[in-house]
Amino acid sequence: MSSTATVGDLVSQTYKYGFVTDIATDKIAKGLSEEVVRLISSMKQEPAFLLDFRLRAYRQWLQMEEPDWATLGYPPIDYQEIIYYAAPKQQEKKTSLDEVDPKLLETFEKLGIPLSEQKRLSNVAVDAVFDSVSIATTFREQLAEHGVIFCSISEAVKDHPDLVERYLGTVVPTNDNYFAALNSAVFSDGSFVYIPKGVECPMELSTYFRINSGDTGQFERTLIIAEEASTVSYLEGCTAPMFDTNQLHAAVVELVALDDASIKYSTVQNWYAGDENGVGGIYNFVTKRGQCRGDRSRISWTQVETGSAITWKYPSCVLQGADSVGEFYSVALTNNRQQADTGTKMVHVGPRTRSTIVSKGISAGHSANSYRGLVQIGPKAVGARNYSQCDSMLIGDQAAANTYPYIRCQQPQASIEHEASTCRISEDQLFYLQSRGIGFEEAVSMMVSGFCRDVFNQLPMEFAAEADKLLALKLEGSVG
Amino acid sequence: MSAVIRPDAPVLLEIRDLHASVENQPILKGVNLTIRAGEIHAVMGRNGSGKSTLSKVLAGHPAYTVTGGSVLYRGENLLDLDPEQRSRIGLFLGFQYPVEIPGVSNLEFLRVATNARRKERGDEELDTFAFEDVVRERLSVVQMDPAFLDRSVNEGFSGGEKKRNEILQMALLEPVVAILDETDSGLDIDALRIVAGGVNQLSSPDNSTLLITHYQRLLDLITPDAVHVMAAGRILRSGGKDLALELERSGYEWVDAELARLDGEAAPQPAAPQPLEVA
Amino acid sequence: MLAAPAVTAAAAGSGAPALAWLAELAGAPLPTRREEDWRFTDLAALAAIPAGFASPAAGQPVDPWSGLNLPAGVTRLTGPAAEAQLGTALAASGCDQHWPVRLNGGACPALLVLKVEGDAGSLELPLPVSAAEGVVAWRLLLVLEPGARLELLQVPAPAPGQRQLLSLVSEVVLGAGARLQLGCLAQGHTHAALLHHLAVRQASGSELQATLVSSGWGLARHEPRVVQEQGAARTRLLGLQRVDGRQLADTHSFVRFDGPDGELDQLHKAVADGSGRSVFNGAVQVPRLAQRTNAAQLSRTLLLSDRARIDTKPQLEIVADDVKCAHGATVSQLQSEELFYLRSRGIDAATAAGLLQRAFCHEVLRELPAAAHRHDPLTALLGAA
Repeated sequence: MSSTATVGDLVSQTYKYGFVTDIATDKIAKGLSEEVVRLISSMKQEPAFLLDFRLRAYRQWLQMEEPDWATLGYPPIDYQEIIYYAAPKQQEKKTSLDEVDPKLLETFEKLGIPLSEQKRLSNVAVDAVFDSVSIATTFREQLAEHGVIFCSISEAVKDHPDLVERYLGTVVPTNDNYFAALNSAVFSDGSFVYIPKGVECPMELSTYFRINSGDTGQFERTLIIAEEASTVSYLEGCTAPMFDTNQLHAAVVELVALDDASIKYSTVQNWYAGDENGVGGIYNFVTKRGQCRGDRSRISWTQVETGSAITWKYPSCVLQGADSVGEFYSVALTNNRQQADTGTKMVHVGPRTRSTIVSKGISAGHSANSYRGLVQIGPKAVGARNYSQCDSMLIGDQAAANTYPYIRCQQPQASIEHEASTCRISEDQLFYLQSRGIGFEEAVSMMVSGFCRDVFNQLPMEFAAEADKLLALKLEGSVG
Repeated sequence: MSAVIRPDAPVLLEIRDLHASVENQPILKGVNLTIRAGEIHAVMGRNGSGKSTLSKVLAGHPAYTVTGGSVLYRGENLLDLDPEQRSRIGLFLGFQYPVEIPGVSNLEFLRVATNARRKERGDEELDTFAFEDVVRERLSVVQMDPAFLDRSVNEGFSGGEKKRNEILQMALLEPVVAILDETDSGLDIDALRIVAGGVNQLSSPDNSTLLITHYQRLLDLITPDAVHVMAAGRILRSGGKDLALELERSGYEWVDAELARLDGEAAPQPAAPQPLEVA
Repeated sequence: MLAAPAVTAAAAGSGAPALAWLAELAGAPLPTRREEDWRFTDLAALAAIPAGFASPAAGQPVDPWSGLNLPAGVTRLTGPAAEAQLGTALAASGCDQHWPVRLNGGACPALLVLKVEGDAGSLELPLPVSAAEGVVAWRLLLVLEPGARLELLQVPAPAPGQRQLLSLVSEVVLGAGARLQLGCLAQGHTHAALLHHLAVRQASGSELQATLVSSGWGLARHEPRVVQEQGAARTRLLGLQRVDGRQLADTHSFVRFDGPDGELDQLHKAVADGSGRSVFNGAVQVPRLAQRTNAAQLSRTLLLSDRARIDTKPQLEIVADDVKCAHGATVSQLQSEELFYLRSRGIDAATAAGLLQRAFCHEVLRELPAAAHRHDPLTALLGAA
């Protein structure tokens, strides 16, 4: 090839969402203490139960140690150097988009998320979160007609405190892990979804997270409740400006599916990943867990992880209800100095529970990409079944792919199958495509997207093409 | 050295004293061949004679290093070009062993390749729907089941299906010079007829075909204008279609005698010429 | 190299708590379940082993192999020649400080160093124990010269009914093109424990086939650890462990390729019945210089009881891009269609299940050196089912 190319160079495209919006922000002083927790709660005028929840979490967090079992390397985080609350200066959430600061609308438009009436996607409701607060939620009225509640969690605390109190922290307890405890103490905003019994949510719901401030941590909290026989599909997207410092993003997502309910949760994560030398970027330490409480319920996670300096997340399913189903479809692409330690936990509790895991890891540059998964079959999970497939693709000889699939089984009438493979893009495949006139980079991205196809097929239509493009973009210049 | 069949037709491909090696092992040692529009050439020879290397070098496979000589494609230096550029300007290689590419849809692959060629020619690119019409029409050239379009590129295809998929690509890309590397290998007689029929349908006074083959049986179905016998990395003898028949009768034994004679005559070659980067 | 016995036989018999005594022998506290490598295997079970030595000479350095009949091509080395290569395979595979290895060193192991040249045929190494309760330790070093061949069988077994801890550390150095077929058929009982380390250095072109089998032990742990020092070697690891009652069997394997073109073919099987626990951890490391490595690992478990449990964890760490690494794991019970087929031919359920279990185990057992057949491994493993 004229470029005597190795596949190793295709992955370094400058980050397209790295701009900073110049907007006045209300920030509290940096650092974390019980006073800060109380301050956040009072700024948000929260009811007592939530303050208690936060304080309990904070006290638990103080007793906990930061985990170090993942094969991740990063300098110690100084939790007193982080600002725990930042919000664009704007007093009330506006009832009409016309009142929202046009700079914010412009920001989201630049990110490809138009919020205004004329431009917004016709079948996707969007909750836009800027730094710590939700600035707009579209299609609320239409959703309300179906009884669907889709709003920021702060609004839910005000308008539906009973629901929040009943479910918050029941899937991910405040002391679940270090970062979940931190999130429970200081979470600022996030999305809340409630689908009433028997309702099939009429459109895709989506939250778009944007970190703007340089020294702010982002601690959003999402809670989705699907009542009996309801169905919802939800998507989150994330970007952040380029800063040469690292920012902490420690989110918690809780999903609850009751009898016959189905939740599909998709993520396209493109936080700033740092530069090619590993300076800057987001630490994405996230706890996501869904509980299939009801019989025949179903929770499906689909994630496309392309950003962040470090990704540390294991979207999980606790399969309690009989015949409930958990799914995890993941594409994780790392390049340059990125590190990803991601996978899932499928905890089979109820009888005849089923789970499927499909993970595709692509490592390029000097990055490290680990799949870490747990399939646990408890003694009561008679007839449980799991199928896992985790494949790695290595681009260049400096990248690492690790696979740690844990299996624990206590039930003889269960079946677990796990398959994994490692491959690279072969020179012959590249040459074949090139000899049909397909350019080098396009050939690589065709093969990468072919490798990921099983996962992209799980994304909502509108986003599958997006994800494909995002991957191509991330790989551009890494093979050349 | 090559026979001139259509002296007035424009020269499409001109190979001059081509030397090439793989992993520092010289394979091609001075190949000369001129192909004009409207001609069908056949290169024959035993395993290891360099036939397949010639096709890979012409298509620009990165594992092969050109160490000397030149290749002009319609007067332009072919060796300067990336493999994809060679395809876009009309050079086509039908692979002996088409590679399987799991996950990449055959239809999508054919569309992207076709559009790359169309763009180069200044034709409008085809959207998914328009392309489906085109491809369905071309399927008839190789009597291929449309179901193959929905599968991954060559994945799980039988030997015959892979070769038909190659000729389908040729039908879509409308090459100027098509090089078919052992297209007949591994085909039963019915599949061979279909493939040969496809090649015959696609040849015209404006394009040319280079068949690389072991056996006469392909040449019974596609009549070559010229036959070249390759051995030890060069073309030993050229002739008309009768040469292939003669080979069929008398085998390749004379080749060894000829090689021995040449080795005796030729003074040892000076040190290998300066390596030339493939572009 | 080997530490002098840290504790005299007399002190050992003094009724000191066994765990403290073991820690003293090893010169290090017992690993706890907080350590990742011991997460599922609790060595506290060793408390049941009385302090003391169960070797024939009760802790005295008396050679159990003095009368051993060695095949042609195998020579026993002693003195400095023997000590020169001791410990190199343990260090190369990163386990010289592992607790079971330290324990072995501290427990006054009987030492055997063998040099193998040419095609030496087969050898069954006796591992004698006394009728006393306590610890017995052996340390073996095999050096296969370039091109040498050997089949070696070890059959560690505790004295019937006695509370014994058998500690076996084998080191193997395979020269270029050497070939070793090693079998360890470890049939224990519930009062006994086995801790077995097998550390191997492979030169290029060498072939190792190691088949490690255990059943019946209260606690058994095999740790095969292989380093292909220049790559370009073949490693076949086969394992079969069966647990019943409240037994625990654990295999922790480790293979690293320090050069290109290496091959690994690993099959680990487990049968878990009763309230038994089976643990498998298979680490494979393919660093950057190990291009064109071809590694395959398969773990298959039969879970036969709802009180048994299994924990498996393959661990693949790959930095080279031109490699083929595949691994797979299955956990299942006996296939109901297969059972039904046999039963529809008039075979009762228990017999049918026995037949299927035998088939499951046979795939590994048939890979033991031929000398193993006189021990009737299938019957030893499964009884007369």
